[in-house]
Amino acid sequence: MYHTAGVQLTKVKGLPMKKFILFLFGTVLINAREFIGKVPLVENARQVHFSGSHLNSPELLHNILYYQNWGELFTYLQVHWFRVLFAAITVTVLIVFVLHYLVIGPKVFSHEGRKFYIFSFFKRVIHWIAALAFVLIVPTGFMMLFGKYLGGGDLVLYARYLHSIGTVIFIVAVIPMFLMWLVPMLPTFDDIKWLFIAGGYLTKKKMEVPAGKFNAGQKMWFWLATLGGFVMILSGAVMYFQDFDIAFVKNIGFDQIDIDRIAAIVHNFLGMAIAALFITHLYMSIFAIKGSLDSMISGYKSEDELKHLHSSFYKKLIGKK
Amino acid sequence: MARMKFYCDEGRCIECNGCTVACEEAHELPVGISRRKVVTVNEGIEGEEYSVSVACMHCTDAPCEQVCPVDCFYIRADGIVLHDKEKCIGCGYCLYACPFGAPQFPRDGAFGTRGVMDKCTMCAGGPEETNSPKERELYGQNRIAEGKVPMCAAVCSTNALVVGDAQEVANVYRKRVFSRGKGVVGVPYGWSTAYKG
Repeated sequence: MYHTAGVQLTKVKGLPMKKFILFLFGTVLINAREFIGKVPLVENARQVHFSGSHLNSPELLHNILYYQNWGELFTYLQVHWFRVLFAAITVTVLIVFVLHYLVIGPKVFSHEGRKFYIFSFFKRVIHWIAALAFVLIVPTGFMMLFGKYLGGGDLVLYARYLHSIGTVIFIVAVIPMFLMWLVPMLPTFDDIKWLFIAGGYLTKKKMEVPAGKFNAGQKMWFWLATLGGFVMILSGAVMYFQDFDIAFVKNIGFDQIDIDRIAAIVHNFLGMAIAALFITHLYMSIFAIKGSLDSMISGYKSEDELKHLHSSFYKKLIGKK
Repeated sequence: MARMKFYCDEGRCIECNGCTVACEEAHELPVGISRRKVVTVNEGIEGEEYSVSVACMHCTDAPCEQVCPVDCFYIRADGIVLHDKEKCIGCGYCLYACPFGAPQFPRDGAFGTRGVMDKCTMCAGGPEETNSPKERELYGQNRIAEGKVPMCAAVCSTNALVVGDAQEVANVYRKRVFSRGKGVVGVPYGWSTAYKG
């Protein structure tokens, strides 16, 4: 019998909740060798219970012995949840925005009069490099997810290649983007107020929304796209290279196949959040606030827009002058 | 209807790796790709050491078939799990889902990246026309169609590796257990994972 951290790990079968408990608490802390006893081998006397035993072809055997760590969880999630959740989240977000556009409608601000130079050339270039990367990565990700409806084959295969190429472009943009907007993206009290009124998007009337240079929604997207993007790059790289051998990972009790499986799980869940906020970002910049796209093209934001959508920042700007 | 199964008798397997080499040669696999591997556990520990030959177990509820995002797998009426290499995108999910580490990925994609998946076909080829040059090139020999035993089992010098209809395999297994007079066990290695119901 193998007791680890108070949880008896003889046979975990069928129950996703149990696996989730493992998923949350157990595995990180436990030396993976202790899991070897879980696998029902033919004869009890032949169970692998010599922790120092030498394995001839470890990569294959570990795949069998560690299957119940993450393999079952990955299979369960991929078969039952990933596609459903992605579809549900995307459709929900789209429906919400179509309703918002029809019921509340876009916000229109005057683009006449005074303009303020907000985004330098460098920042705009970095933004558009990241934008190009997302345009490549997000749709190809969906193509792979729902590849069976596209019939698979070369089309989805090239989508997979584009997914990687987009990642390389994203790697170029993510570090400068993280550094150049790090300070204005730090949370402030305005963000709490912004969240309480949902950014003023639930009402037709124009009001001065509490926000600095960036509002709480933009900040959420920023942190998800940079830090989340970093995790996506890492988990994607794990799946891309697949065969690797990192001593550190083994020392903390994971096998290569564990890392592959965890990476796939993390990549899918984080991908849901990023896809949702990416669509939100597109809707806000293109449809919800008319003409707001201009500021990322020319670098100038109109006074009317600043005054209403970024009131704290506007007051500071005016105060300076 | 026959239900094809592999069975490796770990009491007989002598870790000669004949099955691995025969398979690689018969199907002209690229270097580094082994559809079948022999693993040895507890090497050097008396009474505890044993070897077993592992490849695709052609599961009843094949998890690879369930997780494949492009549905490139299909399960023949006789239980052999095959896949369509022209549909496969080489994402690697089947490997994550496989309890036996069966899926192999040659690095023959664009710019030396991971290509489409390759695995044991139980020498039954693929979806292409039977015994056509294309089937041979993509999936290797189709020995089942020719009425031959799959390569690995055909060359096994100790008859540790047995393949065939489940009933026949079970008969062989039962006879061996009887003649040994000990070691009566529930199911052969891997069967409880691969064959459900």
